[in-house]
Amino acid sequence: MIEPAAYMPGPEMNRLQWRALWIGVAVLGVCILGAFRSPAQFFHSYLLAFLFWTGMALGCLAIAMLHHLTGGSWGMVIRRLLESGSRTLPLMALLFVPLFFGRHWIYSWTRPMNLPRQQLEYLDVRFFLTRAVLYFVVWLALAHWLGKWSHEQDRTGDRRLLRKMQWLSGPGLVLYGLTGTFAAVDWMMSLEPRWYSSIFGLLIIGGQVLSAMAFVIVVLVLLTAYQPLGRVLQPRHMHNLGKLLLAFVMVWAYLSFSQLLIMWSGNLPEEIPWYLHRLEGGWRWVGVLLILFHFALPFFLLLSRDLKRTGPKLALLAMLVVVMRMVDLFWLTAPEFSPGRFHIHWMDIAAPVGMGGVWLAVFAWHLKTRPLLPVGDPYLAVVLEGEHE
Amino acid sequence: MGAEGPRLPTAAERRRPPVIGPGHTFATVTDKISTIVLTRPTTPGWLAGFLVSFSLMMLLFYAIGYLLLEGVGVWGINIPVGWGFAIVNFVWWIGIGHAGTLISAILLLLNQKWRTSINRFAEAMTLFAVASAGLFPLLHLGRPGLFYWLLPYPSTMGVWPQFRSPLVWDVFAVSTYFTVSLLFWFVGLIPDLATLRDRAETRAARILYGILAMGWRGSAMHWHRYQTAYLLLAGLAAPLVVSVHTVVSLDFAVGIIPGWHSTIFPPYFVAGAIYSGFAMVLTLAIPLRAAYGLEDFITMRHLENMAKVMLATGLIVAYGYAMELFMAWYSGNTYEGFTAWNRIVGPYWPAYWALILCNVVIPQLLWFKRVRTKVPVLFVLSLTVNLGMWLERFVIVVTSLHRDFLPSSWGMYTATRWDWAVFVGSMGLFLTLLFLFIRFLPMISIFEMRELVSETEAGSSD
Repeated sequence: MIEPAAYMPGPEMNRLQWRALWIGVAVLGVCILGAFRSPAQFFHSYLLAFLFWTGMALGCLAIAMLHHLTGGSWGMVIRRLLESGSRTLPLMALLFVPLFFGRHWIYSWTRPMNLPRQQLEYLDVRFFLTRAVLYFVVWLALAHWLGKWSHEQDRTGDRRLLRKMQWLSGPGLVLYGLTGTFAAVDWMMSLEPRWYSSIFGLLIIGGQVLSAMAFVIVVLVLLTAYQPLGRVLQPRHMHNLGKLLLAFVMVWAYLSFSQLLIMWSGNLPEEIPWYLHRLEGGWRWVGVLLILFHFALPFFLLLSRDLKRTGPKLALLAMLVVVMRMVDLFWLTAPEFSPGRFHIHWMDIAAPVGMGGVWLAVFAWHLKTRPLLPVGDPYLAVVLEGEHE
Repeated sequence: MGAEGPRLPTAAERRRPPVIGPGHTFATVTDKISTIVLTRPTTPGWLAGFLVSFSLMMLLFYAIGYLLLEGVGVWGINIPVGWGFAIVNFVWWIGIGHAGTLISAILLLLNQKWRTSINRFAEAMTLFAVASAGLFPLLHLGRPGLFYWLLPYPSTMGVWPQFRSPLVWDVFAVSTYFTVSLLFWFVGLIPDLATLRDRAETRAARILYGILAMGWRGSAMHWHRYQTAYLLLAGLAAPLVVSVHTVVSLDFAVGIIPGWHSTIFPPYFVAGAIYSGFAMVLTLAIPLRAAYGLEDFITMRHLENMAKVMLATGLIVAYGYAMELFMAWYSGNTYEGFTAWNRIVGPYWPAYWALILCNVVIPQLLWFKRVRTKVPVLFVLSLTVNLGMWLERFVIVVTSLHRDFLPSSWGMYTATRWDWAVFVGSMGLFLTLLFLFIRFLPMISIFEMRELVSETEAGSSD
């Protein structure tokens, strides 16, 4: 077994935790002041921030489970980051509470509305809350068990834990697919009641996985400036992660384009308004931004082998993807509050930054308590030796 | 791995069989695969199988002949169900044709060594499946002689394809797919054809394989260029795996027929295609490895991995069904709701429930390792999925058309004996080509297996 102490993160993690926390709390504080001026805008921005950071945590959980199922050294180097990311889910559960109390400012269906009977049944406040609780129970349970077993593995190196994590990850991914989908319906699709799209859940899940992948690449490259990761990480690790980033960028584009093409050609009155809201009055340019910087630029740059193997370049591109994920979520949600007229408020930036600070603090807090590599995993040798792929 | 380094779990500890049986060398691999083609006499089993397939292919030709004489009226299609068996079979065969390219291109790019012993015949299967698939839309045209109208050629009659129609995209998607798959398969065969040329015992065989080997001498320069070309082709072929079935799904989803116009269609069709493709590879691989004693090359590891891919893609397909049903309910759309309900309890309910049983319920057995490693059970499961995927296309095509917006124009669809003859006959065509392939070409890539031997000897744990 490998000595755990050699892989503990340094004091920089502590600094990151406290700085992120103070910035987060300060910015969120300003947002709360803003909430007194315009509560509706506060909750619109809050929703954006909540969706982004919950998606990040869920994406981490999903990639971790994918790694447990498939193995591979690509996952070994980011496993701790993924685990720390998914262990922020309790925070997100807590942050759901304000959202629930602000529902009247966000969801039009909380007011009496002329909707089909089925939607009235599904979009019922009590049912909505029950489902949210259920999603969080499932997510917290998955993140908890995987985190716990991984911790045990660090201490004991027990090989059975490998199988245990693998055993949970199969059904875990199925559960994530279902809960992630219905959460997307509840929290995002229902912003425009009457509108429906059967690909929407996959689209949101794909986006979550993409944000998490891009995020861990950024963090990983930043950590290579310090030991121990500085001496472990090699270009081939970055290469593999870059390939996965490219794959997820393509999946996102594929799913988004499928939905657009089918709805555009159908041009049905129950479907097309959703796109019209997002293509009129300036919103169109946000869409163009997505095509250029969420797909085209990352796609073409990531084809380069050189870029994928150079940490700083890859991290820069991954940072762009993280930002564009936020723009995408903005384009998916904000036009509902201001259809036909582009509108952005300072809180649309401040709320995600503030919540992000708190989120990062929790992330760093989890990260600093354990070795940066899964030292009890028998396959870690493959990563360290670097002879096999 | 260093001597003092931490010990990795061995293959046995991970309960994972190897990708190639123990004790093989360059010579045994070459012998074992090439003798099937070169020296082994034609077996009675092969002859019997070939004769049955050939008879079915004759049935296909007979049915096509009659169809061309009489017109598509001999089939059960009419208004409202104008698509019937022809389109069901087309989508089914095209779907089956997806495993080959997925295994050979995408798994190559992903550096998955286990693809090596199954890629060759999976690629051949792809070609033959696409060939069978291609027949159906052509015959369904009604006037197959005018098929070239689908192509955008400079026409003096001013006939130009409707580029907004996915049916036109299909022409490009399928023909591109066939061309690239054929090239990929042939390029992959070249070094093996040279091996056969060098080992052939008759002059005729030497000349034939010699021509096909295109002057391959195995020099370092040849190999270098070859590897580059093969990787490039793999890169070209990989997006095609997704694009073809996406376009097929758009044939349905771009229209506004309830039950067809659903945004989940593209990913769920692609997953379904891979699902049925892997099922067909298993259906073929299991008897082949038994008949030719190839258990060392197509090991339990391969069968288990394919079973896992089937489980994963099957779950995506099940997700697709679930989303269709949920959205049909949630939307509150009368027509969507009715179509879903009509599938479940309408006149075609047996097809729907059989599809759910074959594609969703029974394949859940694949979660268990004991099932994945029992060869006969796996064989039955692969047949079940093949059947289920055919039923899926039948349910999609027929139930959406037979009762749409206007109750006065509802109708029923029943396949005629000519529908069945063409369908069963297309299996004859597929199997005939396959039997000829395993008799005349190496069904497992010899040179890639040799590479695998050298890598296994080098002490890699896989």
